[in-house]
Amino acid sequence: MTTTSGLDASSFRDPNGFVFRRQGRLYRQINQQYREEYDLLINSGLYHKLNAENLLISHEEVDVKLAMAPDPYKIIQPRLVPFISYPYEWTFSQLKDAALLTIQIQKIAMQHGISLKDASAYNIQFVQGSPLLIDTLSFEKYKEGRPWIAYRQFCQHFLAPLALMARNDIRLNQLSRIFLDGIPLDLASRLLPVATYSRFSLLSHIHLHARSQKHFQNKAQRASERTLNRFSFMALIDSLESAVTSLNWRPRGTEWVDYYDHSNYSPEAMEFKCKCIDDYLLEIDPCQVWDIGANTGLYSRLAASRHIPVISLDVDAAAVELNYRQSRREANQFILPLVQDITNPSPGIGWDNIERMSLLERGPTDAVMALALVHHLAIGNNLSFARIAQLFSRLCRALIIEFIPKEDSQVQRMLSTREDIFHDYHVRGFEEEFSRFFSITRCEKITRSTRRLYLLKNKTTF
Amino acid sequence: MFCFKNVFKMTLLIVLGTLCFPQYAYSYIDPGTGSYVFQIIIAAFVAVSFMIKIYWHKIKKFVGRIFSQKNK
Repeated sequence: MTTTSGLDASSFRDPNGFVFRRQGRLYRQINQQYREEYDLLINSGLYHKLNAENLLISHEEVDVKLAMAPDPYKIIQPRLVPFISYPYEWTFSQLKDAALLTIQIQKIAMQHGISLKDASAYNIQFVQGSPLLIDTLSFEKYKEGRPWIAYRQFCQHFLAPLALMARNDIRLNQLSRIFLDGIPLDLASRLLPVATYSRFSLLSHIHLHARSQKHFQNKAQRASERTLNRFSFMALIDSLESAVTSLNWRPRGTEWVDYYDHSNYSPEAMEFKCKCIDDYLLEIDPCQVWDIGANTGLYSRLAASRHIPVISLDVDAAAVELNYRQSRREANQFILPLVQDITNPSPGIGWDNIERMSLLERGPTDAVMALALVHHLAIGNNLSFARIAQLFSRLCRALIIEFIPKEDSQVQRMLSTREDIFHDYHVRGFEEEFSRFFSITRCEKITRSTRRLYLLKNKTTF
Repeated sequence: MFCFKNVFKMTLLIVLGTLCFPQYAYSYIDPGTGSYVFQIIIAAFVAVSFMIKIYWHKIKKFVGRIFSQKNK
């Protein structure tokens, strides 16, 4: 998010520079005090090496007169990240890939006499299916003897949440939403099973590390009296890499991960539904689609096959994990799977509640796909069609939405354990409420099914 | 050639090296005193396994080369 002055709301910690917007364009100011480090990054060949390997965001140097504050050395225009996502929205393998990217960059940087001065998970973004370091100012000259300044941050931002997800519960990644500077190691240590004490990597980098933090709480003077030689420094980085690599999580047993297997579509109905969605996408020709309730991304792949970037959102971490793994396997550059509960979407958090954007602030988007979702919102979450339609009208210009009537076996299953208080849940009620915000452009009854598929266009122009 | 005596000597040097030379750290993020001290201690330990790992790779390469020569 950008503040009224044009400064990026999340770019205030590093005195070496900041991100800002001017006339709708994104720039980064590099201050004079970072001159030596920036020149080293460029002249050492590190920038070009990382760029060539698609590990660091590329940028162009532009006129320094565009500066937003005194003391500028350079103004750079970074390549635009199409959609900003946050670590608490990532699934296990996304966070693991982001951690390994950080380590890989650190190792390459060391070959150029440079080191990362921070290891924030927020410095990583997923662009065209791969993680990418987006902070050009994360580098500093490696000084022999100096320990890794970012060690604590790496453990808190990456290792602790990965260990908690792999060894305790996948949902513990949501702790990153509360603790913006990473999960405190004493908390991670308490939450991890006792068995993790038997693994050297977790014993050392989390359990003993947490004890050390507690022990040295008020002993700042003594800390700076010790040094770390280059070999030991590299050994530490290698140890962190092994710790991350050895953590694995197998997605299984969640409610939605085998949803397609249990869903009641016949092959003909599924084929018809896919064709309708494809036709609708062709008609609206969106620049970006949010697939809400995407599960493992079956329909996201339809849009992606048309080279449309898709933000593939689902509440179920296991489904998102499978979606991400498949996307990586296929080298799919168009799908970004994210964990997102549409009944409780990511809020604006951090300083002034704007440091990390809410989901809605990252919209509106060209098109939303809400397939086999409305009955979960209406019956599973007691939301009226009016409320659902209102939210979608704030999210998108066009809406591809599926209506599932009460006669459908999925809805019957949902109603089997509760009283049916949903008297307005019928196709007429659905069309009436959505028509207040959208024009119904297309409506198709899905073959061999009681379900209907709609293409709606927002009456409000953004 | 791989030798445990050398590994021991190197490890000893590394441990002593890490503990002897004073330096100060300035950064915009707080490295945390406990983390700062702890990484120096743990790095001394992991340096041993890191060295073994490096030597192990060298041995594997060496043995691999001998076998590939024999096969020729």
